[in-house]
Amino acid sequence: MSSAQCLEIDHPAPEDIRVGVFICHCGSNIAGYLDCEAVTRNAAALPRVVYAKNNLYTCSEAGLAEIRNAIAEHKLNRVVVASCSPRTHQPLFCSTCAQAGLNPYLFEMVNIRDQCSWVHMQDRERATSKAMDLVRMGVAKAIFLEAQRDIESSLVRKALVIGGGIAGLSAAEAFADMGIEVLLIEKEAQYGGLLQHLYRLAPEGVHAKELIEGIVQRVTAKPQVRGFLSAQVVAVDGVIGSYRISIQQADRDVLQETVGCIVVATGAVPFQPDSRYGYNGRSVITQAELEEKLAAGPLDAKRVVMIQCVGARVPEREYCARICCLTAVKNALYLKEANPVVQVHILYRDIQMYGAENERMLWQSRGRGVRFDVYDEQRPPQVGESAVEFYQPLTGEMQMLPYDLVVLSTPLVASSGARSLARLMRIPMDQNDFFMEAHAKLRPLDFATDGIFLSGSARYPATVAEARAQGLGAAARAATVLFKEKLVTSALVAEINPETCVGCQGCLAVCPYGAIGYIPERGICEVNTILCKGCGNCASTCPSQSAVLKGFTPKQLLRQIRAVVNA
Amino acid sequence: MKSQDVLVIGGGIAGIQASLDLAEMGFKVHLVERLPSIGGKMAQLDKTFPTNDCAL
Amino acid sequence: MDVGRHPNIRLLAYSEVEKVEGELGSFQVTVRKKARYVDEAKCTGCGACAEKCPTATVDSYNLGLAKAKAIYRYFAQGIPSTYTIDSRYCRNFQEGKKCGVCAKVCQAGAIDYKQQDQLIQLEIGAIILATGYDVFDARRIEEYGYGRLPNVVTSLELERFLSASGPTHGHLYRPSDLALQASLPELEKSCKKSAKGFEKYEKELGQTWQDFYAAYQRGELKGAEYDEWAEQVRLWQRLSDELEKKKEQAASRQTAHRIAFIQCVGSRDIRFNRHCSGFCCMHSIKEAIIAREHDPEAEVFVFGMDIRAVGKGFEEYRNRGAREAKVNYIRSRVAEITEERDHTPVVWYEDTKERQVCTMAVDMVVLAVACEAPAGLKRLAEIVGIELSDFGFVKTRFSEPLDTTRSGVFVCGCAQSPMDIPESVAQASSAAARAAQILTGAETLRLAS
Repeated sequence: MSSAQCLEIDHPAPEDIRVGVFICHCGSNIAGYLDCEAVTRNAAALPRVVYAKNNLYTCSEAGLAEIRNAIAEHKLNRVVVASCSPRTHQPLFCSTCAQAGLNPYLFEMVNIRDQCSWVHMQDRERATSKAMDLVRMGVAKAIFLEAQRDIESSLVRKALVIGGGIAGLSAAEAFADMGIEVLLIEKEAQYGGLLQHLYRLAPEGVHAKELIEGIVQRVTAKPQVRGFLSAQVVAVDGVIGSYRISIQQADRDVLQETVGCIVVATGAVPFQPDSRYGYNGRSVITQAELEEKLAAGPLDAKRVVMIQCVGARVPEREYCARICCLTAVKNALYLKEANPVVQVHILYRDIQMYGAENERMLWQSRGRGVRFDVYDEQRPPQVGESAVEFYQPLTGEMQMLPYDLVVLSTPLVASSGARSLARLMRIPMDQNDFFMEAHAKLRPLDFATDGIFLSGSARYPATVAEARAQGLGAAARAATVLFKEKLVTSALVAEINPETCVGCQGCLAVCPYGAIGYIPERGICEVNTILCKGCGNCASTCPSQSAVLKGFTPKQLLRQIRAVVNA
Repeated sequence: MKSQDVLVIGGGIAGIQASLDLAEMGFKVHLVERLPSIGGKMAQLDKTFPTNDCAL
Repeated sequence: MDVGRHPNIRLLAYSEVEKVEGELGSFQVTVRKKARYVDEAKCTGCGACAEKCPTATVDSYNLGLAKAKAIYRYFAQGIPSTYTIDSRYCRNFQEGKKCGVCAKVCQAGAIDYKQQDQLIQLEIGAIILATGYDVFDARRIEEYGYGRLPNVVTSLELERFLSASGPTHGHLYRPSDLALQASLPELEKSCKKSAKGFEKYEKELGQTWQDFYAAYQRGELKGAEYDEWAEQVRLWQRLSDELEKKKEQAASRQTAHRIAFIQCVGSRDIRFNRHCSGFCCMHSIKEAIIAREHDPEAEVFVFGMDIRAVGKGFEEYRNRGAREAKVNYIRSRVAEITEERDHTPVVWYEDTKERQVCTMAVDMVVLAVACEAPAGLKRLAEIVGIELSDFGFVKTRFSEPLDTTRSGVFVCGCAQSPMDIPESVAQASSAAARAAQILTGAETLRLAS
């Protein structure tokens, strides 16, 4: 008999099922558009239903108490609530059942608000009859629900921070202060990242090297911090709560460690321009090179021209790198400070001094005599041997700016190792090779993969203060996991029957979470229940129905369909 | 240290996120909001950039 | 919603911090829970009270663009969903008046006119300020005409217009057209009333008013009575004509097609706020793109000095705006907004590319108003014992952007400096980290470096 035929056999419901149904008025949200009393009466007559009640707000204290009392009094072993979307109160109802001694997985929620009353506001009669159908389907499924246990997995209270610049150091510091052991991996021979190569930082004028050295000392001195210089992560395996990582340090054996969460803080690097704009590393340099020069001592140059957006906001690199304008203005101010008569001229497209302090710097620099002129992106400035020529929009004519030094403001771009790290850790990148967070607005420091977090310029060019804040933030996000007593995930995950699986790997191909693995020795596929999010793609793809999503089994779903079709 | 409770003043998106993070870490949080309900300015927005998601 | 449900979060809405004493690790905080006159434990949020409340007020969530009642819920999906009585408007709280309708219709018995403010004492280890921002009052820039010219609105007001759950259900009608529409019922009433007067005369003088008036015009009828009646007729005629004209106008109204967005209103302005509000450029671009979604024929213009699209994905979004939604970016600073007939706003600006002073007539002007420190921040800063920067935001050090000037008190989001949503969210987690660091007792407090 084929598996499809097997399903045709009517599986009788076990005799001792006792279902309680609670129909919610939701104030007037539901009751205003369909007849809740009628739906309740209808529910009471359904097979295996021993108790049916409607109430004003099932999610209120009173409503929840009713559920608990009914479970006890009527010895209910299945509960169905017909109300709003499961997204609102399903966890609440499940825990209410658990409080009354009923396994929370024996609860089924039917949506007669968003999926019924709200979309059929003009048709009371048919809305009511649809609600009755929906409840009947819910009851039919509930009868075949099975008790489950939440899945517990191990949680190692340790963190890994990849990258020892300002963001990584800040994350490590936060972890240490929260009492969490942290491994800090840095690929160079010293900590500090880009800050080691900068001059002074606006607005307070603190020396970058001093600042970063102070932080490095403070952080590496903490007992919870285990630092690894000249080291790289070469393998990452496992899931949130127990990531197995392999660390390769120069001239040492590979070290294996297990951590609960990972923070990616690998930073970014300044873009090196090609010969565009006449870059030569001597009289035409980058802002990064200017910082190094300024740190070495006062400059000879009397006439400096800075050009913004070199290699940024262009078709091959569309983004605005956020920090180049404030770096240029800051450096212009330091040039003026060292030599008030130096002429500094900044050619820009938009001057991106966002926020309060940056805008203040802009006012200041204008006051000190720094010149600003707009250039048209269609007609970029031409850097000649001794002068920069650009189209001056205010006069409509070409203008020549003789110079001693041209400084090109280039963007921060993703570091060269970013791609291989992304592959290693199976984390996504955007079109500019910056790592991609879970949600652009609401989860800027999380990856979609559980347990891995992001901070600093690895995510997107950031100022020193922003990178530091993000490092702290990523540590907080990780701490929400690491502070837990244990890791618990829902039992509603997929499982693959090893007897019937033929190893076609169709499920693997459609799993968005990388939760299915193929076991060559056994020729079958297996689900990693920690990674599985219960989306059901595998179950709907599997040709042999070996992959089944718990809580949505074919038996349960077919019962639901029959309940509405055979009515 | 007499108390490990945290007071968060302001129930907009920042206050909400800070409260949730601390609560998930196990701290007790008291969230004070001046208006009758939380949500702040974001609750008044229609959609947010650059994804054009609904703000609520 | 997660906040309302979390067992570790105690939500004190409609409350304010009144006093803070002590220090890091043991702050004694007094919170005033203001009286809603509704019992939070009993209120189910069903809304029967607001339905029956006879007192109309202004809806502050919709920025005064819609009406609310004296008993209200700030917005429909608000947490907590408890209703609140605004005692400034509620009749029961005015001298010599009485009402009590809400208490009568409340099935849960949640109304409590005798409710008092509650003072709650808390023992607190660390404090996080996340008080956000207020928008600049655009009336302070008189030459932009906000408050005077009906079709000049703010960016936040436009959000409410664009919102499907807002006062116009997402239709971008010009406010002057909306006002016109709103004036029709009153006008109809006046017209009808004035016509009623005719009945008396028609009975008395035994003529239809039309015949009477024709005769009067020919000079056949003289006398004070006839003069009076004639005056009535003329009045009615005027009202009737006005009504017809307005009805025609209202019927032919369309949504706003040409929309101008003016940047830096109250920002980067030596008279008001020198700072840049960080997100308004992106905000206007977004509103421009969405306005186009609502109306594919719309023409949208953004007038700005610099377009600050500095966040992740923002420059790409700005370019998408230009390409797909045909958003026009004009480098300028708008000098003045005047009005033509039919309340059409005219924008006066210098186009720096063309080197000319230009004018542009549009259907609606949207002012991207600045983000300012909220009105109550000064007082709160005194209560909490922290310093503010000269921009009015909470003062922090460059290398410790979350720490205020008082140890144990942290800040995040726009309270610290104007910033957009992802930055606020990231900073919120950062402030949580700072609080956690301090409270787990492993950190030795760092003083000024």
